Order: sequence, then C-alpha cells, then structure tokens
Amino acid sequence: MKIEERQSTHIYRQKRMFTKEELEAREGLCVHEQPPYCNAACPLKLDVKAMAAAVAAGDFDRALALYEKITPFPHILALGCEAPCEKNCKLRELGEGIAIRELERSALAYGSKPRGGSLLRKKQQNAAVFGADLFSLFLAGELVKKRYPMSFYCAQGDCLSLVKDCAPGLPEEAAEATARLLSELDIDFKWGCEPEAAYWEEREKYALIAAAWDTARQLYPGLETDEAVMVCREHGLITGSTGGVLDSAFGAKRAALSADRIAQHLDPGNTRGEEGCVATRLYTSLEGVEPSGRIPVTDRDSAEREAGRCIQCHCDECIKGCAYLQHYKKFPRILTREIYNNVSIIMGDHMMNKPINACALCGQCSVLCPNGYDMGEVCHIARQNMVSTGKMPLAPHEFALMDMLFSNGEAFLSRKQPGYDKCRYVFFPGCQATAIAPATVREAYRDLCRRLDGGVALMLGCCGAIGDWAGRYELYGETVDFLSEKLEELGSPEIIAGCPSCKKQLLSQGCEKIRGIWEILEELGLPETAEFRQRPMALHDACGARGDAQTQESIRRIAAKLGCQIQDTAYSGDQAPCCGYGGLTQYTNREVAREMTDKCLGRSRLPYLSYCMACRDRFAREGRESVHLLELVYGSAAQQCPDISAKRYNRLGLKQQLLKELWGEEVKAVDLGFEVEYTPEAEERMDDRMILKSDVIQVLQHLRESGEAVLEEDTGLFVTRERLGNVTFWVKYSETERGYLVHSAYSHRMKVVNRL
Amino acid sequence: MADKNYYTIDPEGRLTCMKCRCKLQKGKAKFMYLDNGFPVELPVCPQCGFVYVPEELALGKVLSVEKALEDK
Ligand code: SF4
Ligand code: SF4
Ligand code: SF4
Ligand SMILES: [Zn+2]
Repeated sequence: MKIEERQSTHIYRQKRMFTKEELEAREGLCVHEQPPYCNAACPLKLDVKAMAAAVAAGDFDRALALYEKITPFPHILALGCEAPCEKNCKLRELGEGIAIRELERSALAYGSKPRGGSLLRKKQQNAAVFGADLFSLFLAGELVKKRYPMSFYCAQGDCLSLVKDCAPGLPEEAAEATARLLSELDIDFKWGCEPEAAYWEEREKYALIAAAWDTARQLYPGLETDEAVMVCREHGLITGSTGGVLDSAFGAKRAALSADRIAQHLDPGNTRGEEGCVATRLYTSLEGVEPSGRIPVTDRDSAEREAGRCIQCHCDECIKGCAYLQHYKKFPRILTREIYNNVSIIMGDHMMNKPINACALCGQCSVLCPNGYDMGEVCHIARQNMVSTGKMPLAPHEFALMDMLFSNGEAFLSRKQPGYDKCRYVFFPGCQATAIAPATVREAYRDLCRRLDGGVALMLGCCGAIGDWAGRYELYGETVDFLSEKLEELGSPEIIAGCPSCKKQLLSQGCEKIRGIWEILEELGLPETAEFRQRPMALHDACGARGDAQTQESIRRIAAKLGCQIQDTAYSGDQAPCCGYGGLTQYTNREVAREMTDKCLGRSRLPYLSYCMACRDRFAREGRESVHLLELVYGSAAQQCPDISAKRYNRLGLKQQLLKELWGEEVKAVDLGFEVEYTPEAEERMDDRMILKSDVIQVLQHLRESGEAVLEEDTGLFVTRERLGNVTFWVKYSETERGYLVHSAYSHRMKVVNRL
Repeated sequence: MADKNYYTIDPEGRLTCMKCRCKLQKGKAKFMYLDNGFPVELPVCPQCGFVYVPEELALGKVLSVEKALEDK
C-alpha cells in the first residue's frame, strides 16, 4: 500500500459532487431560513420577529419602520387586525404567546419616523379610485407608495370624515392620526362627488381604475371579480369585496400588485410571487424556555419587557452542538453550497479545503437536526471527490495515513491463541488503544484468552477508518481487502472489538460476527483486576457508538458495576459531540479539534469516563482527569499522554512483547550503532511538528553514510537533512560520546534543488 | 538577465560544510512543489552543492507557500 502525492496544482479534471436535484434536496433539509411562525401567519408579511427584537431593544423607531413597511395606515391595522400571527406564536405551546398587536401599538405610540418624501420618480400611468371603503382607502395608500399619480373620487368632504366612514369605530385619536397621514399623501382628492358613479366618465383620464365594492356594484350590477387578484377582467376594473380590517388591507395589497401588472400590460395573474401567509417548516426548540404570561403593555418599559419574552424563533440545533459549525459560523445549507462550489473550482484557490477537512464526520448534526442534515456525509463525499480528481492535497492527511500504514504494516500482528488450531474469537483492540494504553490491551487480551472458551486470536492493526475518513477510497479498499484476508486466515472468527469506531467500521465492511469487548465483559462478569470504587464521573459517549444503543447501555451498566456514579451530561448518547479525533480533525485542524475537545469538556467539571481511547487521550491532554473504561476494568495506569513517537513505539513494543510472551518469538532489536538523545525542547517541537523519532534516526543514518552536514557558527550546532518520502527532514544536533544529542528538528514538503 | 528571487539569505561566512570543510556561500537554488518552482538564493556549499534551509525559513515562508499551493 502506498500513498501518492498529487503531481501538480494544474489539474483540470472535475467531477460533480451531487446532481442539481441532490444538492437541492440536501439544502432543502435545512429550515434555518424558514420564516418564524408569527411572520408566516401574516398575509401582509410583517417581520414580527424583527419588530419584537427592535421593541425589546427599545428601538421603537425601527419597530415603527418595520410596521409601516406593510401598510400605509398602521393605526387602522394595529387596532383592527385580527392578528393571525398571535395565534401562531410558538410560545403558545408553553404559555401565552406574544401580544404582537400591543407591540405594534407601542411602535406607533413611541416610535417616530424620519420626515421626507420618497425619492422614487413618479410613474407614468396615473390611477384613480372611485368611492370610499376600507379596501379602497388602503388601495389608494398602496398605490401612492408605488408612486402612481393618484386621484380619489369620494362623497366625503375631508380626510377625517373619509377615514371615519371607511373605518367606523376607530377611536378618535387613531382616526385623527390616520387623517393626518392621509392628508400628507400625494393624492388629488375629488371631494363631494355624490354619487361617485356620476363621475364615472372621468375614468377615461386614467390608466388604472379602481373602485370601492359598493360603487363598482352600482355601476355594474352583478359584477364579479377574481378575488385572488382583485380584478374584474370584464370591465378592466380593480375592485373586490372584503370583510374586516386585515382582509381589506391584504385585498388592497393584492390589488396594488395587479395594478402593476396592468400598467405593464400584463395579465394581473402574471408572475406574482408568493402572496399572503405561508406554511413554515421552521423548527424551534423550546428546551430551556420557561412558560410565561403576557405582560400588560402600558408604557415603553412594559412593551420592551413583553417583546423581551419573544424567543426569536429560529433553528440552530446543529450549531449549538457542534464546535466545527461554530468555528466556521455557517449553517450546513450554506456550507454545503460553498463546498459544492469548491469542489468544482478548476483553477484558483480552494477556500473550502480547510472546512472540508476539519469536520469530524461524526454525524452529531444528523441527530440534532430535526431533518437529519448530515454535514459529515457532505464533507466525506467532498473529500472522496477531491481525491478522485487529484485536487485533494495530501499534506493534511499524510501523517495519519502513514500511521495507518504503520499499524497495518510494521506493527501489524495477527495470531491465533497459542495452542489453538481454530479460534472462536479474535480480539481487535484498535490502533488507538494499542498506541495509548498498550498495557491495558495486553491485560485485556490475556483476560479474554483465560476466560473465553474456543480460543481467542489477536489482531493488532487499524480498521481502516483513517483511510476512509481521509477520503482515500482506494487505500481504504485495499485495507478492507487486507483485513478480510487476514480474518479469513484466522478462520473468520467472531470479532471482539475494543473500540466502538472499529466496530462500526468493521460492520460497514461486511463483518457480521462482531461484538464490543464491553458486551463480552457483561457476559463474563468483571475480572479480578477491576477495581470497585465509588466516584462521580461524566460519561462521554463515543461518536462511533452513535445509533448503537446497545453499546451505550452496556457501557453504562459496566460503569455502574465499577462504582462510577455517572452524571449524564448535555449531549450524551446519540447526541454526543466528537472529541476532535474523528474525521482526522486532530491532524487537519488543531484549532478546531481543540475547540471540539473544549466543547466536550465544557459539559461537566467531573473526571471523564470514555470508551474510545482517542477521546480518553484528547481529554487527558487538555489536563482533565480522563480514563477509558478498559483502564478501570484492567486496572492499568491512566492519564498518560504518549507523544506521537511514543504512540508508534507503544504499538511496536506491544507487538514484540506479546510475540515473546505468548508465542515465544524474540524480535531482535536492531542495533543502530549509535545512540540518539533529545533535549526536552526538541521532543516538544517534534511532537508539535509531527516529526517522529524514527524520522530523525533515518536522517542521522543518512548523515553517517554521506557525511553531509553544516556547522552553524552562531549556535555551534550541526545541521543535516534527508528527504524521506514527500518530506525533507532537518535535524539540528550536537555530537555525543556514543552518538547525537538532537536539539531541534523541522521539515518542509517543498523540494529544494540547485540552480545554475 | 536579472532573475527574480523570492528569497535571499547570505550566510556571511557563518556556515561551514562539514563534508567539504569550506564556507557556504550565497548561491542559486530553487524550491519545487506540486509542479511549481520558486527561485531563491540560499547558503550553498560551493563544492558539493549542499543547500541549507534554515529553521525559520522552513517554518515561515516555506510553510505558508506550501499551504497556499496545497489549496490550489
Ligand atoms: S439543525 Fe441545522 S441543518 Fe438542521 S434545520 Fe436546523 S439549522 Fe438547518
Ligand atoms: S416567540 Fe417571537 S418569533 Fe416566535 S412565534 Fe412568537 S413572536 Fe414570533
Ligand atoms: S463535526 Fe460532526 S456534528 Fe459537526 S458538522 Fe461535522 S459531522 Fe456534523
Ligand atoms: Zn560541501
């Protein structure tokens, strides 16, 4: 198995990630941009949510501006609207909904609007309204807003009586305010036209003609209109019957839109877009929201407090749980579109490579999202796509991939239990457990051999998850073949997985007979090594166990038997976040990986119990007391955090130790012929820079053959280098009696050559 | 012809090639990555041609250019 660097940045191959339909179907799952419940119910499309936010913030001017957007005569609407928005308020599921009309009234009472006319040019076509009713009044206002030169034929003699006749029962103050607004509108009133029908010939002067419903019926008895557009096509007349304040206001909106269409010589039914109230698919969690009752609105302060009850309905379930989405501050729908575009870029910067490679592929979002949006799947597909077109850089994943090759190469071991020709089981502890807690793995294997009948084989290696996560599907395929061949050689025994991610991965490879070691331990009972001690702990579920209730429950039962008093944290079970290892985030983006770890640890102050060795390792590195379930069962020391070199050494060491102890095979230690020591700074830097001790040793071996080194006068140190694979490694050292003391090491991927 | 160098370091006599026992000098070299080349001037051994890349350069400029190219 080999991993190849891509040859060039000039690759013109391209493959679509999704068909257009598939992309839209995925994007459509996200309801984040769906309107809130209140907005959706308003046929006039008031942005209730924004208005409530403005009132809550004491910004009544803005609230008023939002409200005036939907109607020319807000006083009439605020007092008379039937308020379907209030009936749809989400808070009604818990207690009382927001008093939206009260907020509207408070906007009118305490908000002021900037003076100044419209900057839009008046339209060419003029319009006239004949006769007064609430509909025609609203329509006149709407048409003025649309900048039609406007005439109004009515029997009344002034604005106030016009308003009062159209909106009977309107309190005096509101009527006066409305009359004031009306008088400020650019309308040519034809007062005292009684009956209005007598002035009907005047319609010839106008391009657009509208009428109050009664007036229209006097002119054309039996007239019918298309209510959807408020137009009588037969007579070319804009009119319609309406009942109630909201209906009149909405009818006027539809009619005004028809006026636009007619002015453009189009059918009024042409391209109108979405009108009226809409169905919303929004999801809003009420978790943590206390039921509350309405606060009577009597002044600014009470209005602000009532508006403050509004929970600003929106969906962000995925973001709340995922540090990765929080880091990039983007919703899956937007991320998906940007990733889709990124994959299709032929030349130029792939700005989304980082986000594509930083997702943990953990699937938490798919559980948290009400519609199952799986961002991890999108990122995984994107990785595979970019690998297939040669656009995926190797650098972010190379170290991890090499680690997998090491696990399944030099450190791989597959043996039957000594004395058995055929084994009923094979223990597969996983590459992380062997790297981080080799002593625990050793104990576990010996225990299984002791207590299980039928023989337990051992397989030390990697399940292939690393190759799969990196999107290297060919390499992954080879790994799958390799493992299945090795399992066959063992007689295809039942697999006992030590790690939930391995279990999941091997299951997906078609291994049918597989159980977690925890299930076996429940059957066998705990071994003597298991130490019972009462201790409160936070349990971190592994992302590999998502959807695997059996595993989650089994772990809890064993933990209880060990005396752990488990305090379930937020986001536990299927909702668990990833520790930062999954999807190779740890390698591709340390910042995000760290944020993931912090997010996990932020759930509790208690010591953490986990059942994936990668989680246990990352938590311990962050300084939290952290232990793997198997470490409690097999009583081996926890809290060690081996560095990258030690992780490799541990795997190799465990293999050699077991070979010797159980199969009597001695692996001869290779004698390098020299000794290498490291300063503490060098070790720290190497861990940080992903440079292995084995890399350094190879460079020094090359030095011994070639004698190529440079002496730095400033430091008195020697510097040498060698290219290993795709990387040039540099080692800064001083000489010791028996070899070298390494002071620093660094690397680069660029090749450096001489130039003439 | 004056050719463009992306980076220049003059060792000013403070680096010695241990193999050839002579001082490194400012010399012509080239960084190559994923089919892209960048001419530079680095400390080079006039005899064996060993090109020296200092730690700061590797972790600074070189790394950032690598990253930029990787996302091309
Ligand atoms: S959880 Fe996230 S992806 Fe799902 S609907 Fe809500 S915002 Fe959209
Ligand atoms: S809580 Fe606020 S945003 Fe949600 S439906 Fe009610 S008024 Fe609208
Ligand atoms: S890190 Fe996990 S929860 Fe976050 S987007 Fe990726 S798969 Fe979803
Ligand atoms: Zn030389």
